Parts: sequence; C-alpha cells; structure tokens
Amino acid sequence: MLLEKHQELITELLSRYPVKRSALLPLLNLAQREEGYVSEAAMKEIAKILDLTPPQVYETATFYTMLNLKPIGKFHIQICKSIMCGLVGSDDLIQWLQNRLGIRVGQTTGDRLFTLSAVECLGSCGTAPMMQINDDYYEQLTAEKVGRVLEDLRREGTSPLKSGPFMFPQPAGSR
Amino acid sequence: MANQESDKFVTITVDGITARVPPGTLVIEAARQIGVMIPHFCYHPKLAPDANCRMCLVEIEKIPKLQTSCSTPVAEGMVVKSSVPNVEEARKSVLEFILANHPLDCPVCDQGGRCDLQDFSHEYTPTTGRFKELKRIFPKEYFSPLIETQMNRCIQCLRCVRYCDQVMDVQALAPSGRGTMTEIKHFSIHELDCEFCGGCVQICPVGAITSRLSMYDFRPWMLKRADTICTYCGDGCQITIQTKDNELIEVNSTHGAGRNNGDLCPRGYFGYHASVHADRLNHPLIRQQDGTYAEVTWEDALELIAERFSQIKLAHGADAFGGLITSRCTNEELYLFQKFMRVVLGTNRIDSSARYGHINGIQALRRVQGTHRWTVTYEDIVAADTLLLVGTNITETNPITGLKVKEAVKKQGAALITIESLLPIRGTISNITTLASHHVPVHPDYFGLAVLGLIKSVLEQGLATASLSERAPTFVQSIRSAVGKVPWETVERHLGLGRDTFVEAARTFSQAKRVIILAGQGVLRAPQGSDVVTNLLDLLILTGHHGRPGCGLGTLAEENNDQGAVEMGAVAEYLPGPSELGDQTARKNLSKIWGDEIPQSPGATLMDMLEEARTGRLKAMFIVGENPVATLPPQAKVEESLDGLEFLVCQELFLTETAKRAHVVLPACSYAEKDGTFTNTEGCVQSVRRAMEPIGESRPDWEVFSALSLLMGNPIEYGEAKEIFKEIRSAISGYGLLGPSATPPRIKDEVVDRYLQEGFKTDVEVRYAFEQENTQPDEMLTLASVQSLFHSGKFSTRAKGLLQIQASGFLNVNPVDATRLGLADGDPVRLSNTRGEATTKVKLLDRVPVGVAFFPEHFDQNIRGLFSLETDPQTRVPYFKLTRVRVDRMQEEIPGKG
Amino acid sequence: MKFRDWIKTITFYEILLGMKETIKHLVHYKPITLQYPHEKKPLAENYRGMLALLRYDDGTEKCVGCDLCEAACPSRVIRVISTEVPGEPTKRYAKEYYMDMTRCLFCGLCVQACPVDALGMTREYEWAVYDKRKLHLNKEQLLAIGDRAFPVREKQLEFQHPNVAYFNVSFKDIPEKAN
Repeated sequence: MLLEKHQELITELLSRYPVKRSALLPLLNLAQREEGYVSEAAMKEIAKILDLTPPQVYETATFYTMLNLKPIGKFHIQICKSIMCGLVGSDDLIQWLQNRLGIRVGQTTGDRLFTLSAVECLGSCGTAPMMQINDDYYEQLTAEKVGRVLEDLRREGTSPLKSGPFMFPQPAGSR
Repeated sequence: MANQESDKFVTITVDGITARVPPGTLVIEAARQIGVMIPHFCYHPKLAPDANCRMCLVEIEKIPKLQTSCSTPVAEGMVVKSSVPNVEEARKSVLEFILANHPLDCPVCDQGGRCDLQDFSHEYTPTTGRFKELKRIFPKEYFSPLIETQMNRCIQCLRCVRYCDQVMDVQALAPSGRGTMTEIKHFSIHELDCEFCGGCVQICPVGAITSRLSMYDFRPWMLKRADTICTYCGDGCQITIQTKDNELIEVNSTHGAGRNNGDLCPRGYFGYHASVHADRLNHPLIRQQDGTYAEVTWEDALELIAERFSQIKLAHGADAFGGLITSRCTNEELYLFQKFMRVVLGTNRIDSSARYGHINGIQALRRVQGTHRWTVTYEDIVAADTLLLVGTNITETNPITGLKVKEAVKKQGAALITIESLLPIRGTISNITTLASHHVPVHPDYFGLAVLGLIKSVLEQGLATASLSERAPTFVQSIRSAVGKVPWETVERHLGLGRDTFVEAARTFSQAKRVIILAGQGVLRAPQGSDVVTNLLDLLILTGHHGRPGCGLGTLAEENNDQGAVEMGAVAEYLPGPSELGDQTARKNLSKIWGDEIPQSPGATLMDMLEEARTGRLKAMFIVGENPVATLPPQAKVEESLDGLEFLVCQELFLTETAKRAHVVLPACSYAEKDGTFTNTEGCVQSVRRAMEPIGESRPDWEVFSALSLLMGNPIEYGEAKEIFKEIRSAISGYGLLGPSATPPRIKDEVVDRYLQEGFKTDVEVRYAFEQENTQPDEMLTLASVQSLFHSGKFSTRAKGLLQIQASGFLNVNPVDATRLGLADGDPVRLSNTRGEATTKVKLLDRVPVGVAFFPEHFDQNIRGLFSLETDPQTRVPYFKLTRVRVDRMQEEIPGKG
Repeated sequence: MKFRDWIKTITFYEILLGMKETIKHLVHYKPITLQYPHEKKPLAENYRGMLALLRYDDGTEKCVGCDLCEAACPSRVIRVISTEVPGEPTKRYAKEYYMDMTRCLFCGLCVQACPVDALGMTREYEWAVYDKRKLHLNKEQLLAIGDRAFPVREKQLEFQHPNVAYFNVSFKDIPEKAN
C-alpha cells in the first residue's frame, strides 16, 4: 500500500543509503505522515521493502517516541515539558489543556480531533512555553492563547497564531 | 623465532598471572584461559560483544577508567586487575541497579538454581538493596505456546536478541521501548512466530525467557543429565537429556559441546516428548486369529519368531527372508541386524531407510573419490570462502549444518551460491537463500539442469583448471561436448534463467580457495540423484578444487544415522565397511570375525523386496522401526506385499501402519533409553547414552537380535552395546575414533584417476543429457513433499511440543499463485491429479516459488496417493516427492479439520 | 587419721552422708516425674513440634511449590510436586506435598528455607501412632494441622508490600500450559 502509493519516493529514499536498512527511519516517517501513526500493516510492509523482519521494524518504531504506534487525533498537540518551559509554567498549561480537552496526556479526545502529549524540549526555549501542533509551532503561550488556538483549529483547521513550520530538513517531496 | 612468536601472541597479566594469548582475544576470554572468571551477563562467546550490562568492568593499568573486559581486546603488556576494591565497588553498583528492578521471584522461577544473576548476587552484593521505590512492572502478554517470557525478570542484556540475529539469522526477537522499560518482544502484541530453536531460552542468563514445556516441573538440582545425540536429522547434535525420577523434563545443549556447539533446532529442543508418548508399545504383541493383538511375554514372542523363522528357512531357503531397518537405530543395532540377517538367517536381503536417498550420495562419492564419508567437516564449512548449496532448504532439513553455513557467510564473509527452489524472501523463519550472494532459483524438477548450467558456464568461461586438461584430456573433452548438447535456450526455457545468471556464480566458485558443496534432499531424493551428485563432483574436479584441503562435497542426511546404516552394511549392496558385497577380502575378513560364512546370494533392495513379496518369492520379513506403508505412496502396494507374507515381524516403538500388519510386534526402545553410537552426516561417530529406563517391557533392538539368534541356535551374544562397537571397529579397518571432532577420510587418488581415465565414460552422456520435458499446465501446481523445520519423519509428530508449533499439514503456496487460483489463507482446497484427490488447507508463504506448492511430508497421510513412484534404475532409490496437482478451492469446509 | 577412719567406718558415716539427700527428699516429698498423659511440661517458647502448611488470611495456600524445603531437608522427609495452578496460568503451586514424618528430625531447616513462610512448626508433639504409614502426611493433612495450630493468618503477600505484587500471580489472559 505504501509502496504502491509512493513508489518513486521510496526508490529515491532507498537510493540515498548504501545499506537498505538505513532507510528505515525515513520510511517510518513516511508511514506516519500517511496515516498519522505507524500501523502494523505499514511496519510489515516496510519490513518487506527493506528486507527486514517485522520485529526489527517494531524495535525501531518503539524506540522513537515521535513515532505514534496508535491512531492519533487530527491535531497532535505536543506540549513541551522540559525545564525551560517548565520554569515559565508549562505544567499549568498542561493541566489547563487537560481540563479543557477533558483528556489526560497521551489520550485522544472523543471526537478524534486532539491528541495531547507532553514532550521533551522542542528547541524553542527562547519563546517558552511553547507547543507544537502537527508541524506548526505555537510560542509564548498563555492559557488564553491556547484557547484561541484550539478554537481556530476546531473551526478552521488552522490557526493564524502559528509560527511554523520549521521542520528541518524539509519533509521529503514537499518542495 | 622469538620475533615470530611475539607476532602471534601478546603477553597479558590478569590478577598477577601472566599468559600469552593471540592478539585480538578479548580480555574476558584471556582471563578465562588464565582461570579468572570475570562476572558477565551480556557477553557470550558466540555473540559479538555488546558491553551493555557493565558487569565485566575491570581495571586496566594505564587506563584511567574501568573498562568492559568483554569488549576490550588484549594488548601487549596489558595488566588487568579484576579483584581490586575499585572493581568490586563497580560490580556492586551494577548489581544494585539490576536488582532495583528484578522481582527476586527466584522460588518460582525455573532458572532459580542455575541463574547467573543469582550466583553473582550471592557473590558480589550485600543482601539488602537501597532502593525503596516500586519496581518496574510490565503487563504480561502471552508470548508463545512453548516459550514463556517473564519480562519483569529481564536484565536487558539482549543476549536473546543478538543470538536470534547473529547466530540463527532469524531476527524474531526485538527489544521494544527504551531505557528501563525495554522489553523483549516479537512483533507488537502478536504471538511469537519463529524457528523455536530454543536458543533464547538457553542463552538467557536469568529466568526472563523459559521453556513453557517444562515450566514448573522441576528444579535444576533435581535433574539427572545424560549427554546423547539427537535423532531428528543427520546433523548429529549433542543434546543433554535431563530427567527427574525417570521422567523426561527437558533437553538442552551446553555451549561448546558436540558438533553443534550447543545450538539446537526446534526438533532437538522441544521434540523430546516423542519418546514418552502414551502410545508407546509396552509389551510384545502376537496377532490372533481374529486380527486382534494379544500381549504376551518376551519369551513367547521370541520363541514364536524363532520357530517360524526356522520353519520358513527350512521350507523356502534363506532367501525367502527380507530385512528392513530404520536408520534411526544405533550403529551397533544396524551392524547386529545385518549380521543377524546374514549369519543367522543367511540372506543378503537387507535394506534400511538410507535407501530413500542417502545411498545416492554415497554411491557417487564412492565412485568418484573412493570415500563414503564427507572429506570435509563442519569446521571446514565455517572456514570455506565459497559454499554451493544445491537442492537443500538447509535451514529446515539440517538446521545445524545450516548454522555452520550461516556462520561462514555472516561471520567469515564467505560467498554463498544457492541452487534452490526457495525465493530469497526474509521472514521469521530463516531462509538460507537470503544470505546467498548468488541465488539461482530453480523449479524443484531442475536442480540437475541448474548444476549442468553452472558446469557449462565454468567450461565456457574457461575457468576449468589447466592441469586437468593434461591429466585427463578426454574427461574434460567429453564433458564439454556433453554439456554442449544442451543449449542455453533449453536451460532458459526450463529454468527461466539464462547464461548470465551463471556467469558470476561460476566465476566466484572457480576462483575461491576453499569450496564446499552441500547437496540436499532436493537432489538426493529426486530422480537422477546419484548422477547430479556425480556431476557436482565433476564440477569440483573441473575447477581444480577436488582434493584440495578444505574443499569437498557433502551430502546432507535426513535421518540421524543414514550414514551409519550404509557403513554398517545394513543396505543391500554393501557389507560393513562399506565394502561391496562381492569384495572377497572383505568377505574373508568378516567371516573370520563372525566365525561364519557370508551368504553368496545377491542382496535385494527395499523396492525389490516388496516386489518379491508380492510375487510370493519372499516369505518372511523382519522390519525394525521402518514404516514403508506410511512412507511409500499407495501405488507401491506395500500393504499388498506385506499381507502376502507368511510371516512378518515388526520391532517398533508404536503400533504403526506397518506394525499393524505384522504377526508379531516387538516393543523397542527409543534413543533416549539405549546406549550406542550414531554417525552423523559428516561422518562423526558419537555416543548415544541412556537417559532413562526403558518404557514398559521395551528392550534395545540389539538385545532382541541377540536373543533371537540364541533361540535360533546360532548365538551372537554381547554383554553391552560397547562390545558390539568393539567388534565393529575390528571389522572395519580404519573406523573412526569416537571423539568430539570428525576425522574425515582422504580421497583415494587411485580411484579418482581411474574415474578420470575410464570410469566417467560409462554414463557421461546420460548424466549430462537433458531430455526431461515436464511441461506444467497453467492450472496445475508442482506439489513437493518437503521436510518441515518442526518435524522429522513421522516420529516427531508424537512430540507434544512440536505439535504445538505445527499440528497439521498445510499446502504452502505463493501469494501470486493463490491470487491466480483464487485462494486465500486458510482456504480448504482439493488437490487432484490422475492418481487421485485429497483435501487440505492453504497457507500462503512468500518464499514458495511460483508454480510450486510445498506440503510437509510428516502429515502426508491423505495426499500421499497423489505422488508418482519412480525407482532409480541404478541405485534402486524410490522417488516419490514430486508430482503435479490441480488445486481447487473447496466450497464446503473440511469436516473435522475446522 | 587411722582412728578417724575407723570411727567413720563403724558409724557408716559415708552411707549416712549419702542418705542425707534421700532422707531430705523423703521428708519434703516433691515429685519430679510428670505424670505425662495427665500432666504436661510447659514448652519452650521456640519449641519445634509437628510441621504444618499454612494459609493466608483469605484461605489460599501459602506454598508456591518451590521445592526449597525439599532441598533443605537433611533427611529427605519432604517431596513436592509442583505445577501451574489449574485455571490460574503462570501461577505456581504444589500439586502434591508429602512429608514422611517418620524420618523428620525437627531441625526446622525447611521452615527457614521457605521463602513465603508457608511452613510452620506447631507445638504439637503427640503424634504416636500404631501404624507408621499414618506418619506419611499429604498436603491436606499438613494444611489441616496448620489450620488448627495457627488460627491467626497473615495477609496475602501482595498486600504486605507492593514490590512483591507480581510474585507468583496468575494472568488470566494467557492460555494454560498444555499437558
């Protein structure tokens, strides 16, 4: 399924590395972009493409916390819980978000719109507290601002308050 | 001299003891050689160092910090200290961290009593820990029916994962998660699906992975151990059978022990329960008038046999007898059986299950190089730089020889050429073709043609050794002209592969220094088996490898003592040795030892005996452990043959299909209950030792032959199996010593010369001819009856452990074929051809070639009728492993198989 | 000296001296022998009497069938056959438990060896029987002894400390070991 849909991209990805297996992370990333999470079927397919066994793919997928192994909501809220954001009140923000969305960290809302996770430093300490929703950064957050972001996302699917995307390197094929 | 030596060795001092070790040795190994045991968890000599457990930290002078001795190679003048306060302190901390999460449920852990963590904790830590926090707890998931995981006990040394990858090449285990929550898993929450070699269980230093088969049945100190040899294939692995009060508890194999170096396959590790199956015969049985069996005493049964045998001999002569023995018996029993048949009954009509294929290889070896054994050993396989595997799914039929091949490829970087029908697709059951540098995918009918293609390519590229053209110009010339008659177009039409496929393979093969060819069941048990092996030897001769050290051809035996059966003369054409039946010096020598004449009449092979039985020439048969009714396809009419006999004696473990036709059935002992020796496929003679008392009234086979000979007035008596072995060694000159390593014979140059000058001429045209035109209609599949990794013959289908992995036969087909035929996984199908029809279920398997379906031979009761039966005109080997069938999806479910 | 010896001899001095204790006891009679079936000696605090198997307060057997008592026993009194608890996969228990009390020397090593305190030494000692075979005790008998000798039972192990919460517990979602 992955192979059929992204034949060219996968060939390109494989050509980047001398060893096939090295393309594992890009492929897992691709699978995640495709479905929002890395499904078992995708892992099996990647194993086949890379001449690995499914457990080997699973091993890598479970190691990286940024790969989701369970379906997530439309908007994946990753809020920084590292020390810089912590110092300026990310704990309160997480609490506020939990109350607002009615879920705990790691859960998805019933309407499958939001998934909340607390993550380690996202490298934007100067503008703490911050969070990343899908590919976009939202910085210098306050409860009020987060509330607006959530409203925007619910309504429009995007929010003008974002300051991203800053993905580096650019996701393959996006240019 | 001194210089030379210092090049080869470095001096190292461990705890004040100095020793000289080869450079590259790891400090932990050097210390072990000196006699200092450095505690460790993650290190294992079989595995590449990982240095993740930090238990083996030592102090090395001039290095400021402690070093992991398992990953530090020795250096000249290195001074290592393993028992200084510093190191002790480090060990204590490491253990304290490990124990912070270890549940300490030793009382209920099967590893308790032989656990590294337990031992080291006792030795190196105080009895109390400082951690008050809650221990890490994993939710328990079902892992597999045979292997149990208890991840709370895991110390995350990853030995199992590395073993699974580096040694077995299976990669079925993976550490999932990270940090302290790292957990050994298969794939997500799915049940383990792998080779079940038991390696992870054996290598786990704690009780995180244990065998579910013997779970909670024992404590290690209760077990009585017996080192013996596994009986499930020709590899001859040493296994340690562990018993508690005469009850089989578990089997394992010690690192460094036997030819297998402690590695086992699922058959060896989980298959031991076959010996203690409830259906084992406990008493001698005599068939009554009404067809039922009555339990009788040994005396009654043996007297009846002796009486009837004597009557028949008197009435019809010695050649009214036929003997058939399984090669699962020990050498002693095989030897005594043929001696009994030859001396007491006076006939050469003997055969064994080596006839099903192994004899093909032996005859070719004898013809070309004058040996009956491999001229190479497992060590040579590991050291080889090019390996050619022909017609063998080696990782399933001979898993441990397969491990040697894997080791050669993965660790030593050997090139691997495979001529095999499997497709190189990786899965959690290893597939040797995925390791191949040159894989020639071949339809199972055409292994011979592929070998021909390789030889053709060698000759065309001028890769044949120059000296051979001088030594035997006609030989090279006639092969060249013979292969010239098969054009590449023919090869391409049948294999789907042309000249180009073979170019690289031929070049790699010819240019290698140490070359080993392994021929498997696909060659030996298929038509022209002997010819293909001869051609392979020709290939070795052509490229100049024949006779070079470390080069040679090996044939892979299916049964544990196929090799021994031939050597003991338990086949129609050979006397012990094996010597030809007509060899006068051997006859003289043997009759001197036996004190009796050797019958002059010619021998008869299995198929001939069955034929003679049908025509009424053969009056009585003595079948030991063999089950031709369930092995040969119905058109062999074995039942008819056996029913026509005046008297049939079967000596068996179970009341098999064949035994049910016998007049007298004698209960025999399984390998676990007797002493003796087995000869493995590479020709290593190894001791089989009694692990438990015989079940019921069963007796070792040799005792029965001995007792019968006594009753028939021609006593052949021995006190124990060892005495027979002594006689064998006197009867066969140069018979190998019992020992940990094989002593391969050298090829006989005079035989090779004779072959090169004259011998080859007789059939070179035939061997290299290709006239097979097996076209396969589109709707038909080639059905191959193959050996499964999880079973061996019919014996293992009584092992409860193996049945939990594979309980029935499935038709393995390629997804491509399945789509074409409209089949899905698990669909019931009807197989049919002109010979009949049968029903089974489909299981999709990527590695099965398109157009072919595999069915495990162990469950072939229903489908056996579909196979054709063909007997080799020369070696009289019956071939019945391949056929063509139509596969149709069945609408209704198969009753009783749901 | 001679005279004194002579006086002692004729007055049976030594005998009188010896008889002094006897006469003393004759006058102040206080029996030392206990009239055993009617009178019983008070037992020492740590008296090691008949062995018993114990239960937790909810009535489950404490024994996990680890065979350590069997290993510790110097006179091979104990025989344990352990297996998985039926219906409770991966939990271990003693399917059968035998003690041959004819051989027991009441050393108490088994009690010390027991990791879950499933064995106890009662203060019972009146175990004389006419038939020696009655001293071959099985699990039910040993549990019965424990029941009557130790009326106060311990809490389940997992309630004693959370770190042993996963010590020998069953997992319902796992199929039982096949036999």
